[in-house]
Amino acid sequence: MMTNTEVEGNFFRRASRWKLILILLVFLLLLTIIVSLNIGYAQISFIDILSIISKQFPFVDSMIDSSLLSPQNTSIILQIRLPRIIAGALVGAALAGSGVVYQGVFKNPMADSYLLGVSAGAAVGASISILFAAGTSFFGFRLVQVAAFLGALMAMALVYNISRVGSRVPVTTLLLSGIAVNFFLYAIVALVEVVAGDELTSIIFWLIGGFSNVLWLDLFSVTPFILIGITLSYFYARDLNLLALGEETAHNLGVNVERTKKVLLILASLVTAAAVSLSGLVGFVGLMVPHITRLIIGPDHRILFPASILVGAIFLVICDAAARVIVTPFASTLELPVGIITMLTGAPFFILLFKKKKDSYAL
Amino acid sequence: MVLLNVDGIECRYGSVKVLETLNLSVKPGDFVGILGPNGSGKTTLLKSISRLLKPHKGTIFLDDVDIYSLESIDVAKKLAVVPQDTSIGFSFKALDIVLMGRNPHMSRFQMESKKDMAIAKKVMLLTNTWQFANRPINELSGGEKQRVIIARAIAQEPKLLLLDEPLTHLDIMNQLEIMDLVKKLSSDGKIIILAVFHDVNLAARYCNSAILLKKGKIFSAGKLSKVLTSKNIKSVFNVDAIVQKHLVTNSIYIIPLSPQKTPQYRKYSIHLISGAGTGTGLMKILIDEGYPLTTGVLNVLDTDYETAKILKIPVIAEAPFSPIMETTRRKNLAIIKKASAVVVASVPFGYGNLQNLKTAREALGMNIPVYIIDELPIERRDFTNGKAKELFDDMKKNGAKFVKDQHELLALLHVSDEKLKTIQKNDIKYEAHLLPSTPSNKNMLHNEDE
Repeated sequence: MMTNTEVEGNFFRRASRWKLILILLVFLLLLTIIVSLNIGYAQISFIDILSIISKQFPFVDSMIDSSLLSPQNTSIILQIRLPRIIAGALVGAALAGSGVVYQGVFKNPMADSYLLGVSAGAAVGASISILFAAGTSFFGFRLVQVAAFLGALMAMALVYNISRVGSRVPVTTLLLSGIAVNFFLYAIVALVEVVAGDELTSIIFWLIGGFSNVLWLDLFSVTPFILIGITLSYFYARDLNLLALGEETAHNLGVNVERTKKVLLILASLVTAAAVSLSGLVGFVGLMVPHITRLIIGPDHRILFPASILVGAIFLVICDAAARVIVTPFASTLELPVGIITMLTGAPFFILLFKKKKDSYAL
Repeated sequence: MVLLNVDGIECRYGSVKVLETLNLSVKPGDFVGILGPNGSGKTTLLKSISRLLKPHKGTIFLDDVDIYSLESIDVAKKLAVVPQDTSIGFSFKALDIVLMGRNPHMSRFQMESKKDMAIAKKVMLLTNTWQFANRPINELSGGEKQRVIIARAIAQEPKLLLLDEPLTHLDIMNQLEIMDLVKKLSSDGKIIILAVFHDVNLAARYCNSAILLKKGKIFSAGKLSKVLTSKNIKSVFNVDAIVQKHLVTNSIYIIPLSPQKTPQYRKYSIHLISGAGTGTGLMKILIDEGYPLTTGVLNVLDTDYETAKILKIPVIAEAPFSPIMETTRRKNLAIIKKASAVVVASVPFGYGNLQNLKTAREALGMNIPVYIIDELPIERRDFTNGKAKELFDDMKKNGAKFVKDQHELLALLHVSDEKLKTIQKNDIKYEAHLLPSTPSNKNMLHNEDE
């Protein structure tokens, strides 16, 4: 039992504790990215990697002796590995962040970033575009990406409109219409798969999700959505805490519940749509990363939200690195879709953690 | 100054009217209990005051401002709610929950300040929850959790506090503790408290006024003694109830009687001799079993007299605290003559009511069966120097039936009733005067207000 002064001291140390957690996670993320840059078919030393990266920054670049760096390695790091790793971090952050938002709004541990038909909509867009026009680009962007993004937004709009009751969007009808629309859209995906023929493998790869062949250009189109969406969502962190007490209580504590819910769901769906348009349907991150983070640092969204984003980013960068190396010994041209890794590693880890802390985890 | 003003609101769920042109004004310091049967609109009233259900017509003013014209956050600065459903999605600590009550007073990017913490600590000490400030809310017991929720509401520093059945699922001690706490809040006269109650007695004990709702309308409102009458309770809840001032708590106390069964009317009629509350339970049982019942002689103000009044049992009454007069005794004998049997409850006998026992003896002499409930030996309730005991022994000799409790009594009565049925199959002359409230009972001294 804590004494009175301890409770207060504990409370006032909270802000600095939160800062420490975030600094630690940012550091971990940077470390993960650098280590991950080292992983791949071509052997490039850490010193070279650091030199290549540092060279990109003004003022620092003059201090680096670039004569020792091979142009080939520079291009592998900057043009192949780095965009891919940044994509992993962005998608991981986006899925984990929107997962936190969905779980908070729905007060439901089963909620994840794919709940409201976003994933199914993206899948329909992507699979149809792969079937009819694989490899085509659209104003410089890949058609698959544009189609997936638009499909996701259309599915979201559909779910939202079905579940609307007057000016309200009750959580139950949202969940139910989300499930219904998901089933319907996945049926279309299945239909596309049946008739796909040669393109079936591409479709399946997209559905599992991965980052092979991600270029800087692909990143530019989605990054603004993800960054702006995440930043705006964070403004509502305290409202998410209050929503956990139930919508009526949140209302009584001064939250404009309907407005907050709408803003948050639209932001989270946009962020998810942008992420899956880049990576395909990477599973597990949006469901489990928020849970794992909550188990470790507690339910307060003011720390849970940013921490989950960083954990999601770290987790997906690591998984992607694993995806690149695991099959390499067997077939150097093939690599595992990252979605398989996230699910294979994440689920047992979560179960382990869950079993340990089950008692305190009264959801 | 009137702080809360409910101005002619009408609420609907779809096309169903739940509240109808409801007006109400409450001032600071008032602790108002909202009472009424299920579906009478209690929770709807709270919901419309807390802006969860916009009235179809009319509106609600708090400090002369229409609350429906305000932003949620501005309302939350003045109005706090302790809801019925207190389930919490994630495992927040008790302190976190209480600090959430400070939300309306914080700007979007602010963290809780020292002042917020000081307020949280103050209200947690007040609600006796500070000792588990760091425990997860979901690990607390029902009572502890409810106190935390109340602490959160107080942390909002509201002018109006709404409680929606705050005592559901709580044990007696926790109920009293929480009501004491709420009472304390209202006693400094600064805030208005409106609370929905299921338990009329807890409301009667703690509130200083009450609203009785029936089918979406205010049936009665005002001081407790005006609102909580057995007549009002009968018309709103459809339950007979005994309303008394409790001897110890000095507050109005209501004893609801189970809703009247539609009894199979029997012909075997009974006259009950009781007093000092010994007949109260018995009257209800006999009526429920369908026996036509009369009673007397009872003193006005006697508990049994009050009960008889509520149950509409014809009663021969004597003035309060007076011995039974000969004229009254004769009246009693007159209705006993029409009864099939006399039941004597396990009442103490003194010189004031010895006359009743003599009457019973007389009835026995006229071949009317007398049943004596002998729960407590006569020696211990005879305050007449053995005169009552003598009468008892005499009656025993002459065939009075002694039973040890009401179950045994009912068993014997049922047998007699069956016998009567077979004997008097075609005889209808008994019916007319033996059923309660028939014209022949009119001359009796009973309930003026019926």
